[in-house]
Amino acid sequence: MFLTIHTNDDRPIYQQVVDGIKELIARGELAEGTALPPVRQLAGDLGVNLNTIAAAYRELQKDGLITVRHGSGSVVASRTATERDQNQLLRPLRAALTELVLAGLKPSRILKIVIQELRLVTKGSR
Amino acid sequence: MSPNQMLLLIFIFCAGSRIRGCFRRWRQPLLRGPQWFFNVPVQDDFYTGPGRTLLRYYRLRMLLPVALEVVLAVAIFVSGRLFYFGWLILAISAAIHLNHLFSVDRSERKARSFAKPESERPVCAMVLSLTPRRLSDYSNRWTEGFIVLVSLAAFAWLLRYYLHSTGALNLRIVVGWPLLLLYQQLGFLFVKYGIVAWRTPIPQPQAEEHLRAREEARKLHLKVCDCCRILITVEIALFAAVLAITPALRMKLINGYWVVLLIGAVALAIWHEKGRLAVVKANLRVRPMKMPALSQVESSGRLLCYQPATPMLLIKGAHGYALNLANRLTQLGAAYLAGLIALFAILRIGH
Repeated sequence: MFLTIHTNDDRPIYQQVVDGIKELIARGELAEGTALPPVRQLAGDLGVNLNTIAAAYRELQKDGLITVRHGSGSVVASRTATERDQNQLLRPLRAALTELVLAGLKPSRILKIVIQELRLVTKGSR
Repeated sequence: MSPNQMLLLIFIFCAGSRIRGCFRRWRQPLLRGPQWFFNVPVQDDFYTGPGRTLLRYYRLRMLLPVALEVVLAVAIFVSGRLFYFGWLILAISAAIHLNHLFSVDRSERKARSFAKPESERPVCAMVLSLTPRRLSDYSNRWTEGFIVLVSLAAFAWLLRYYLHSTGALNLRIVVGWPLLLLYQQLGFLFVKYGIVAWRTPIPQPQAEEHLRAREEARKLHLKVCDCCRILITVEIALFAAVLAITPALRMKLINGYWVVLLIGAVALAIWHEKGRLAVVKANLRVRPMKMPALSQVESSGRLLCYQPATPMLLIKGAHGYALNLANRLTQLGAAYLAGLIALFAILRIGH
């Protein structure tokens, strides 16, 4: 199971780690209860500051996607534990849809794009 | 055959088995072909120009430990203290590997000035494996069980032997050597930890192949460490067994052990060579790539630095690499050395 970090990406490294792990969880490649590598291992392999990876893990923990157990590392949390306020979850979707409408795309085209992206996120052949 | 003569025989065997390694290291810069110098793709005229000097210096450095070994071996042989051949084997093995690591790194750094320009561009995507690497994932429970049980049994027997002996026995003589062996055992465990924790940056192109090559190398090194740990455990048990039997049987047991050790060493050398060739093949299948430097941290020190937020053991700075004193491996290594000195002082082996 791999996580790809692009050096020419606009996002900071910690955000790429967060997004990458989120994608793997969404695709089901990182199943519930799967152990994640320790912060030290990821930071060492990438050659970055420990705080960079720790910040990414903290954000994932805040989103309820991983649970950090002291002494035994981090594991992917159960999906029932990640139930969040629906309004909060829909906010980024609404923002993205607004952008697409403002870009002049027709609703049918937007729907097509959304279905296509949803397939990519859940099946993962990006 | 006396133990010292046996030690001489083992030294000759070790020196002989190292000949192949010498040739291997001699040829290593050109292993990928004439367009390469180690893992650096070089320009066409490299070996007729600056490459020739770099190659000559690298090969001369490779001869240094061999020359040192010959001088020391002759000195030990002339002095008649054949016991020191055991220490010579250990010291020269360490010297060969350290000298090799240092020389390859130095030669590659120098060759980078003559590398093909396109090869000096670092890859723009790195891959991270999300599989946790823990020491327990690379440990065989049967091996660990054998080591723990045999060591415990041997020490329990040694203690019982000391407590029930009628004559005035010195505790240091009874448990001194086994304790030193046990400390060596701990050292190999520490080396295993270092091998598991060693950072594995992987470029996105050929990511799977790169990861497989590194895992193969990692597993081979770990197996070698485990073989050494088993050997140390057997030696602890042998020491305990030697005290339990009559002097007549003692020599037979020791001689038998040396013979088994020699046969085992031959078998291990063949197995290791096979494993090493598999690792070389896996490495040759992947193209070496320059990795991007994501860390903004630079060491200001010349040899040592203290960067607690940086997980790397060595940090690049303006004056080359500096050892990170905040790294767990550095701290464990320092603690191990301090412990070894303390153990020597307690056992007074240095006297």
